[in-house]
Amino acid sequence: MTRRPIPDILAGTLDLLILRTLQAERMHGWAISERIQQISQDVLQVNQGSLYPALHRLEHRGWIEAEWGVSELGRRAKYYQLTPSVAGSSPSKPVSGSAWPRPSAA
Amino acid sequence: MKWFDAARIRLPLLFAGRAAEARMNDEFRFHIEMETERLMRAKGLAPDEARRQALAAFGGVEKHKEALRDGRGLAWLRGWSLNVKLGVRMCARYPGVTMAGVLAMAIGIGLGAAYLEGINDFLHPALPLDEGERIVGLQNWDLEENDPELRSMHDFVGWRQELGSVQNLGTFRSIERNLGVADGSAEPAQGAEISPSAFRMVRVPALLGRTLIDADEQRGAPPVIVLGHQLWRNRFAGDPGVVGRAVQVGNSTSTVVGVMPEGFAFPVSHHFWVPPGSNAQAYEPRQGPPIRIFGRLAPGVSLEEAQAELSALGLRASRELPATHEHLRPRVMKYTDLFVGDEDNWQAYLVQLFFVLLLLVLGSNVATMVFARTATREHEIAMRFALGASRGQILAQFFAEALVLALAATVLGLAAVALGAQWFTRLLWDVTQGQIPFWLDDSLNVTTVLYALVLAVLVSLVAGVMPALKATSSRARARLRHSAGAGDSALRFGGLWSAVIVVQVVFTVLILPPAIVSISALGEADHTDPGFAAEQYLSARVDMDMGPEFQATCDELRRRLLMKPGASRVTFASRLPGMGHPEAWVDVDGDGSAPGAAGELVMATAVGVNYFDAFGAEIVAGRAFNSGDLRTDAGVVVANEYFVNEILQGRNAIGRRIRYTTRYAQQAATGQPQGLPRSVMRERGQWYQIVGVVKNIGMDTTRDAFTSGQGPGVYHPLTPEAAASGGSYSVRIAFHVRGDAAAFAPQLREIARDVDPGLRLYDVLRMDGPVDRVSRNQRRMGRFFSSITGLVALIALLISVAGTYSVMSFTVSRQTREIGIRIALGADRRRIIAGVFSRAMVQIAVGIVLGAVTWFYVIVHVLGGRDRVGLLVVTAIVLMLVGLAACGGPVRRALRIEPIEALRNVD
Repeated sequence: MTRRPIPDILAGTLDLLILRTLQAERMHGWAISERIQQISQDVLQVNQGSLYPALHRLEHRGWIEAEWGVSELGRRAKYYQLTPSVAGSSPSKPVSGSAWPRPSAA
Repeated sequence: MKWFDAARIRLPLLFAGRAAEARMNDEFRFHIEMETERLMRAKGLAPDEARRQALAAFGGVEKHKEALRDGRGLAWLRGWSLNVKLGVRMCARYPGVTMAGVLAMAIGIGLGAAYLEGINDFLHPALPLDEGERIVGLQNWDLEENDPELRSMHDFVGWRQELGSVQNLGTFRSIERNLGVADGSAEPAQGAEISPSAFRMVRVPALLGRTLIDADEQRGAPPVIVLGHQLWRNRFAGDPGVVGRAVQVGNSTSTVVGVMPEGFAFPVSHHFWVPPGSNAQAYEPRQGPPIRIFGRLAPGVSLEEAQAELSALGLRASRELPATHEHLRPRVMKYTDLFVGDEDNWQAYLVQLFFVLLLLVLGSNVATMVFARTATREHEIAMRFALGASRGQILAQFFAEALVLALAATVLGLAAVALGAQWFTRLLWDVTQGQIPFWLDDSLNVTTVLYALVLAVLVSLVAGVMPALKATSSRARARLRHSAGAGDSALRFGGLWSAVIVVQVVFTVLILPPAIVSISALGEADHTDPGFAAEQYLSARVDMDMGPEFQATCDELRRRLLMKPGASRVTFASRLPGMGHPEAWVDVDGDGSAPGAAGELVMATAVGVNYFDAFGAEIVAGRAFNSGDLRTDAGVVVANEYFVNEILQGRNAIGRRIRYTTRYAQQAATGQPQGLPRSVMRERGQWYQIVGVVKNIGMDTTRDAFTSGQGPGVYHPLTPEAAASGGSYSVRIAFHVRGDAAAFAPQLREIARDVDPGLRLYDVLRMDGPVDRVSRNQRRMGRFFSSITGLVALIALLISVAGTYSVMSFTVSRQTREIGIRIALGADRRRIIAGVFSRAMVQIAVGIVLGAVTWFYVIVHVLGGRDRVGLLVVTAIVLMLVGLAACGGPVRRALRIEPIEALRNVD
């Protein structure tokens, strides 16, 4: 199975994916891309060229905020999380894999 | 909440800069490391290969960074910093334009800022006292005279009892007294009779002892005095035990009860304080001495509320005392407005418009220079258009370039203003002998700095954006497209350029003469020849209290002096030769043989009967004064030769009459009784008959760049009325001394003390220098303004010459290609040169002629100045030389280039 980058048309979708991913817990950039890929069952591969600008864009808009922390492997990493106002305004239902629409994998 | 989150996060990002870059690097490195490890884990790749793949997957790190930077919203800022960088580079590349431009803008911005600083300091000063803005002044305004009525002791008593909205109400009156340790030498000092409430109001405690207290004001209280810091230091050597000592104050003795801290000079510039001597209750309405009333607004009360309460009291007074108070309306105002007058301040700001206009003229001058430079940059503009720059971006670049110039000019201008303000304050201090209001502040106001910055932006718009607008207009752009690469200049101005050159020349012609005059005035000698052996005369100002014994005191002084060996020719006068004399407008009566004259400006002073003899000035016609002329109604004057020659054209003067055109002028000329309402000043004065003509002796006016110092004048006999000044008599004494005149000064002081201890002597000086501090300082003031005018004129001259040069040389270099082609086609070089130069000379000549006509009309016709043909010739020659230089360079370059080069490209 080939990994397909999310096309540009889905730029707005990427923001949404990131927000939903972050709803569960705070994560660093690499983990976000892995999680999206994992949840979409490897159908979607997040292009890093889109991921980081998207993260910073969301940060700029005040939807997510970032802080530096120590990763599970003991390295310094930048963690993103929803800002309180955004977190409060959306249902805090945990994300389940089945909730993701799955683009046809054919 | 959301906007708050956004702001909270975004703000630090905006200012993060370098730290943000570093964090970005960290984040990307972390991502790549994580990816590398994943690849090693998942696919079992070797570390190197895993890292390579991770990097490849991540894509260009720089590209991401760029995307992020844009996301940070700093792109526009970087664009501007680039523009500014370009601007600085442009300034360095064209040092001539830069220097001229910066100087031109600095003049405009500096003058505007200086003026605003001046009116803010003088008209809207802030009192450096605790809650100084709540200290107010009260006065009765006379509607009929449109002038304040200062004799308001009666009203003050009422207000003090009834006004609730103004507290600590008090009065002051300036007095001048000889002050010294009892039985020692005494020198005059400026002080105030002031209500003790003033010290509660200003909230300044005494440095030593106490301030005045209410008990000091009571009838029968022992006389006390509070000393200012300066007096205490200078006269009492800073003696810490001064409190309790007796000092001589005028003719009485007072006890020092306190010393005020340094810098304290309330109410204006006073150095000692005594309680009001008179019983305030005793005065009838509109009687008593002129006083100033002050107070502090009660807590929570606004100026308007206080005015309302005071107005009510005023209306009641005008009902109850119609005879005196019908036209009086009390007003409460900012304290400093008592002294500067608060009416029509906006007019002062209107003058600011003039400076803005001046700045715009200077700015457009810079604009022409910048435009010439812009024209040489059209390839750059075309290139930027081709690369997709918008018009706005190009305009922004030119604006930024001009802004760089303007900001440099602002720094320069403000520095000059700051320096000038300090210089001026020091000068003012000297001139007034320390009598400058305590609230004057010689540091720059914040508003002035802000205003200068606004001016900088304004002038950048004119100098930067206007030429760029022109250069990027659609027509110019169309030409740019057609001519791209051809080397021809697309910016054509034809007739407009000629007009610009002509205007530049006119400007220069008008600027040059004042510049030369004011600069040459600086080099002139300080003092002119008075026409007598001035070094053998000693002079002094003698002040004495008002009283009937004026003449007797003068006579006694003379008698005692003449008893001393060496002293002779003692005389008295309001003004002495070599001093500034008051000037006034007069009408001259016609007689049978000659027409009269109206509105002539003459100098005037009052002199003793033997004045002309004392200085050896010969009477050339008629007679000198005699003792019979001392009657107030004698109505005679002696004119000087300038008067006869300039006003009467040399005709007979004896028997002709003059009168001052306003009573005010007459007061200025013959003495100034105090407290007269202004309305009587509108009346014409009485007629005076000329009984004699005397040779000119040193009737100087204040010397500055534009007045030569001597002119027509008349002498009045010195009556007590003529000697009255303020609340006392003030005359000058002068006498001849055999031997060293200056060494006689102690004897003069001694005699004066013997005659009357209340006599106050000032400026005991030999007459070969400036006779008094005032005239010396007037001269210094004159020099101050001449040097400012001179400097400004010089720079303006430089700029207009530079402007002429740059525009002219630009127009010639535009013809480079044309000249090259004509030479390639075999044209005669001499004819080409002649063509270029004759055109330039015609432009300059037209400018000079127009300038000369304007000059003669404005200066000679309207202002009555002297024609200065010599200066005009110099100006013409200088401008012709500038023209030659401006054309010479470009023409030589044009003649030197290879024809083929001319056809291909010219830069």
